[in-house]
Amino acid sequence: MNFKGTLPTLILEALMREPSHGYRIAQTIKERSQGVLDFKEGTLYPALHKLENEGRVESYEGIEKGRPRRYYRITKSGLAALKEDRAEWREMSRAVTMILGEA
Amino acid sequence: MTGLDRWLLQATRHLSRDSTARVRTEIQEHYEAGRDAAICGGASEDEAEQLALTSLGDAKTANCQYRQVLLTSAEARMLREGNQEARLICSRPWLKGLALAVPVAAVVVANALFLAGAVEAGRVVLITAIGLAPLFAAPILPIYTPFRSRIFRRVKWTCIAGALALIFGADALKLSWLLVASLWPLVWNEWTRASIRRKLPVQKWPEQLYI
Repeated sequence: MNFKGTLPTLILEALMREPSHGYRIAQTIKERSQGVLDFKEGTLYPALHKLENEGRVESYEGIEKGRPRRYYRITKSGLAALKEDRAEWREMSRAVTMILGEA
Repeated sequence: MTGLDRWLLQATRHLSRDSTARVRTEIQEHYEAGRDAAICGGASEDEAEQLALTSLGDAKTANCQYRQVLLTSAEARMLREGNQEARLICSRPWLKGLALAVPVAAVVVANALFLAGAVEAGRVVLITAIGLAPLFAAPILPIYTPFRSRIFRRVKWTCIAGALALIFGADALKLSWLLVASLWPLVWNEWTRASIRRKLPVQKWPEQLYI
């Protein structure tokens, strides 16, 4: 399913629960959407870098199973952005449902 | 060369050395995690590698997206060279003074020309001095916040455009080829700096990005 433009919001949502690395973020999004939101994982990192440039997430080095990994965690600004995105999505989703629901 | 190496080569095309190193590390980590998960799921090593590579998607698309958020080699070069220039000027106070003296000297010359009766030449020199003043004064102005930086850039471009309009007046259209050719490097420089500003967090901006 094409969900262009919503990937940053989904990343922030995935990071809301706990800091995570790229691979786990991708798997979380796929699992929580029950496979509907299937995206190419190479596009995840540019979105993460953009969020980092905007100060919405920050990264740090961590270790998982003896391997160094880059972890990402959501910042205060990211939390505020997520709150706004959620409200915007509910509004849009309600409006689209009102139109498509009539068909 | 493995499939992953080929993917990385294409995905990191035209990226700076630091950006390339970062992309290589993160994609390598991602690929290994994907491959290990596939092996745990019962796939053979070859199948797991293929699965992990396929899940990354198209390298060209990734390259386009990386170039929008990470520094390219051209941008990194501009930043490096700009930093050298800034260091050169800032480490020598007399150079700062000299830079500030240029528009002042131009105003003095313009006055001398007016007094000598060369009104047209004096007018051109005076307008040029006003147009160039923001460029030369930039190193000594207190521009160290994004807001002040935006204001300064607007003033700078207004001065340049105003000076050109006053100097060329109605001939501006006839001489547009000359204006485009001479202003192109300045515009390109500004465009690249805007791109760098988007890619770097404000905390990492060097002084040259503010002006």
